[in-house]
Amino acid sequence: MPDPGYMRRSPVTYTGMLWLLAAQLVVMLPLAFYLPVWLIPVLLFSAGWRLRVMQGHMEQPGTIGILIIGSLGIIALTVSGIPRVSLDMMASLLMLGFAYKSLEVIQRRDAMVVILTGYLLVGVLFLYSQSILAALYGVFSMTVLTASMIALQSSKSTVMLVNLRLAGLMLLLCLPLMITFFVFTPRFSPLWTFTLPSSQAKTGMTDRLTPGDIARLSQSDEPAFRVNFAGERPAQKALYWRGLVLNHFDGKTWTQFADDIDPESVKTVLKTNEYNIKNRLVKKGSGLRYSVIYEKTAQPWLFALSPVVDIQGDAAFGRDFRIMARKNVMEPLQLTLLSYPLALRDVILPPWRQQLALQLPSQGNPRSRQLAQELLAKSPTKSHFIQTVMNRYRTQDFYYTLRPPVLQTTDTIDEFLFSSRRGFCAHYAGSFVFLMRAAGIPARIVAGYQGGEWNEKGNYLTVHQYDAHAWTEVWLENQGWVRFDPTLMVAPQRIEQNLQTAVSEEGSFLEGQLLTFAKYNWLNSIRKRLDSGQYAWRKFVLGYNGETQSQLMQRLFGKLSLLKTALIIASLFFVISLLWLVSLGLARRHPQEAPEHQLYRRFCTLLEKQGIHRAPSQTPHNFAQLAASRLPALASEIQTFTNNYIQLCYSPPEDSDSHATLQRLKTRFNSLSKAIKTLRKTTGT
Amino acid sequence: MNTTPLLHDINAALKALNQVILGKEEQVRLALSCLLANGHLLVEDLPGMGKTTLAHALANVLGLAYKRVQFTSDLLPADLVGSAVFDPKTTTFHFHPGPIFSTLFLADELNRATPKAQSALLEAMEEKQVSIDGETHTLPAPFFVIATQNPQSQSGTFPLPESQLDRFLLRISLGYPAATVERELLKGNKGRAALPQLSQMLNRESLLTLQKLVPQIKVSDTLLDYVQRLIARTREDELCYLGLSPRGAMALMRSAQSWALLQGRGHVLPEDVQAVFVAVVGHRIIGRKETQGEQLARHVLHSVDAIGGIGVKNSA
Repeated sequence: MPDPGYMRRSPVTYTGMLWLLAAQLVVMLPLAFYLPVWLIPVLLFSAGWRLRVMQGHMEQPGTIGILIIGSLGIIALTVSGIPRVSLDMMASLLMLGFAYKSLEVIQRRDAMVVILTGYLLVGVLFLYSQSILAALYGVFSMTVLTASMIALQSSKSTVMLVNLRLAGLMLLLCLPLMITFFVFTPRFSPLWTFTLPSSQAKTGMTDRLTPGDIARLSQSDEPAFRVNFAGERPAQKALYWRGLVLNHFDGKTWTQFADDIDPESVKTVLKTNEYNIKNRLVKKGSGLRYSVIYEKTAQPWLFALSPVVDIQGDAAFGRDFRIMARKNVMEPLQLTLLSYPLALRDVILPPWRQQLALQLPSQGNPRSRQLAQELLAKSPTKSHFIQTVMNRYRTQDFYYTLRPPVLQTTDTIDEFLFSSRRGFCAHYAGSFVFLMRAAGIPARIVAGYQGGEWNEKGNYLTVHQYDAHAWTEVWLENQGWVRFDPTLMVAPQRIEQNLQTAVSEEGSFLEGQLLTFAKYNWLNSIRKRLDSGQYAWRKFVLGYNGETQSQLMQRLFGKLSLLKTALIIASLFFVISLLWLVSLGLARRHPQEAPEHQLYRRFCTLLEKQGIHRAPSQTPHNFAQLAASRLPALASEIQTFTNNYIQLCYSPPEDSDSHATLQRLKTRFNSLSKAIKTLRKTTGT
Repeated sequence: MNTTPLLHDINAALKALNQVILGKEEQVRLALSCLLANGHLLVEDLPGMGKTTLAHALANVLGLAYKRVQFTSDLLPADLVGSAVFDPKTTTFHFHPGPIFSTLFLADELNRATPKAQSALLEAMEEKQVSIDGETHTLPAPFFVIATQNPQSQSGTFPLPESQLDRFLLRISLGYPAATVERELLKGNKGRAALPQLSQMLNRESLLTLQKLVPQIKVSDTLLDYVQRLIARTREDELCYLGLSPRGAMALMRSAQSWALLQGRGHVLPEDVQAVFVAVVGHRIIGRKETQGEQLARHVLHSVDAIGGIGVKNSA
């Protein structure tokens, strides 16, 4: 029975209300990580109130009550410390309304408003997290939302699993359309941008090196980036992922520049172009092409095998052979890079730049300065001197440890080189550069990551935060900047294998984290598998942008014209709708009504045009009487037709030909419709 | 067999009945068609609405042996079916039949009796025989039970469960008479006062013949389509808690045939089904949310299309 007021007039059942509450909870839970947590109690409060009302224990709140409750919520939001105009505020307001609405869910229409808002909130979640986990959860929320919509529509309380299964099936039917939209929807660059909440940014490399920083990173097993090599994978010990260059030393901390400037300014200062980089290089060895997907860090630093000569993707060259993102990395960023790791860099370095790499505080660490001078005096050449310093780390009893003693004095280099002798890469790199500079050799610290974990299944390399490393570059005539890693002298396993092996005796690998896969060997294969899934997600789903889209389109369909695109999309939609028709059984032919009934219905339509309506329960006889009284001129025609119909339907003569009877009925119908036409003509004129 | 004189007689009987039970043509017709369909009748009404008069008049007109028992809570099954009595002359027990051995049995205020007494009656209604002391005694044919129930003042009653209500083919209620009819009644020469003037219009043989005619009334496929749509709706409607059982569906068909026979027709029309639908279905289905079965039956009747269906050829 088609009834336009159906939705408005049907109240939500108790079961439907419970379903709705479940769906709302499912939708709101993940958002509670990013938005005020107290929104969930608000939901429980308002849904609980409504449920109590349905049980008859409580009264529905009046207008004033709703006003008070509503303004309380808004006041709570304003004092919660969220910036007034921000995404967080908009999402929180939406959530607040979403939570409150359940108090007002009385009619089915109200419930539909809640469910549709729920679908929107599922989308809002992706503004905060785009991980594969968030996507899976999104699918789950959609299923529960759809199931609750089903529960709301049916008056009978069906089993939970039945609703969920039906909802799953419905979503599955939408899958082809979803994929089509994903693949074909044009990717426009956003017309406007807003700052995403940065509180959630992961820890990454910082732009300063105080002994301790890298040790902190080494306690994190979060992935930093993943690399896929186009050709052969380089040896593990050659994997120096160069990121930041630290030039300035103030006696305690290494920074990029003398002034403490923010990353945004660093980018402007260092910005250069490909041409400049290529001019300062002498290419040696073969090029290495690889693609990298960086995790979000809220920083502009990127890490690559240096020097990079070609970038495909959204990144810029830095003057000191680094690469940087144009914007802070707020979402996973994919780049394809070409590097020549063996190339010579800055063979010719202007004296003022050499001076920059010789900077030292005017005083402090006297013993180290003295040591540098002594060793330099003993060495015939610069490279001999460098070798002597490197060997010193190996021959004397230095230890590689993630638990270095706290340095007590201000002369940290002296204390490290002569008394404590325990440290990790930052200590070694720092002291090495100090000695170089004290001897008048240009040198600098490089911070980045070293090594990575090879995933056999996915054929890619994952570099974790615990792979963070610091090493040095020394400028030599005719060779340019040459990489030296003093840590290699003390703990060769760190470079040749990984951090875990280097500190296996000490047992300090990820010691701050109890629950981590990387620590336990037996969980490692599971971890790698999960990581492999995440990598594929990053690469194929999140990394699918306008550029890859057009590449795919070209590969699939050749050169595209507007007409061709339209045709492809139209045919895809056609196939999908055909699939739907078949799977929903809509294409199946419905059993048709018998011809006599079809004829009778035409008779009804005919009379309806004359303003005579037949109620469903009206029998042919009663209807004929009604029609005859309203159209006396046609009374006999109507009666004859009806009598014929009644006879055919209810007392078909056994021996006579039903076909002939039907023919007779048709004739009657035709004469009736003709009579009506003439009637209309006469009354019309 | 020529049935015209029989139909003439039964119509005369109807006319005579309407002289006594004023302004209740529909109910009288339903009662008569219930009898012809070989079913039992449940009359649910307030006291003083003429339930007894209806039963008595039916008995008089159809020449049935009428007996009446007022059901009370201390009524025993033996009070209905009879008992074995010791005969000192022959020094043997011999069966003394109870009031149930009649052709029209009026069970007044059935719901006042205990379930035990109720079930004794219901068993007799179903089996058309009673068993006492291992001996089976067949009840006379036709055997017609009219039971009355007072829907109000339910205290101290044993309402019949649904399964037992199902034994009654039709349930009707008489209701207040119209003003003009009531005026006639107040004048005092109509209604119960006219009962003795009623003469027998049909004999037992004619009644049995008519009962045999009922199943022969033709039911077309189109009509079956309609009946099945009605049945399906009682099971699928969202107001329905308990739909019509197959036994109920058969009862509906039989009543409609009987109604058609009373109209003097050899086939069933949708009108016939509609006429008996509420009386047949009302006490057999249960609605949700305090919807009365009767209301629900009306709702179903109004919402189902009276015509249409896949018809003769396509269903074959």
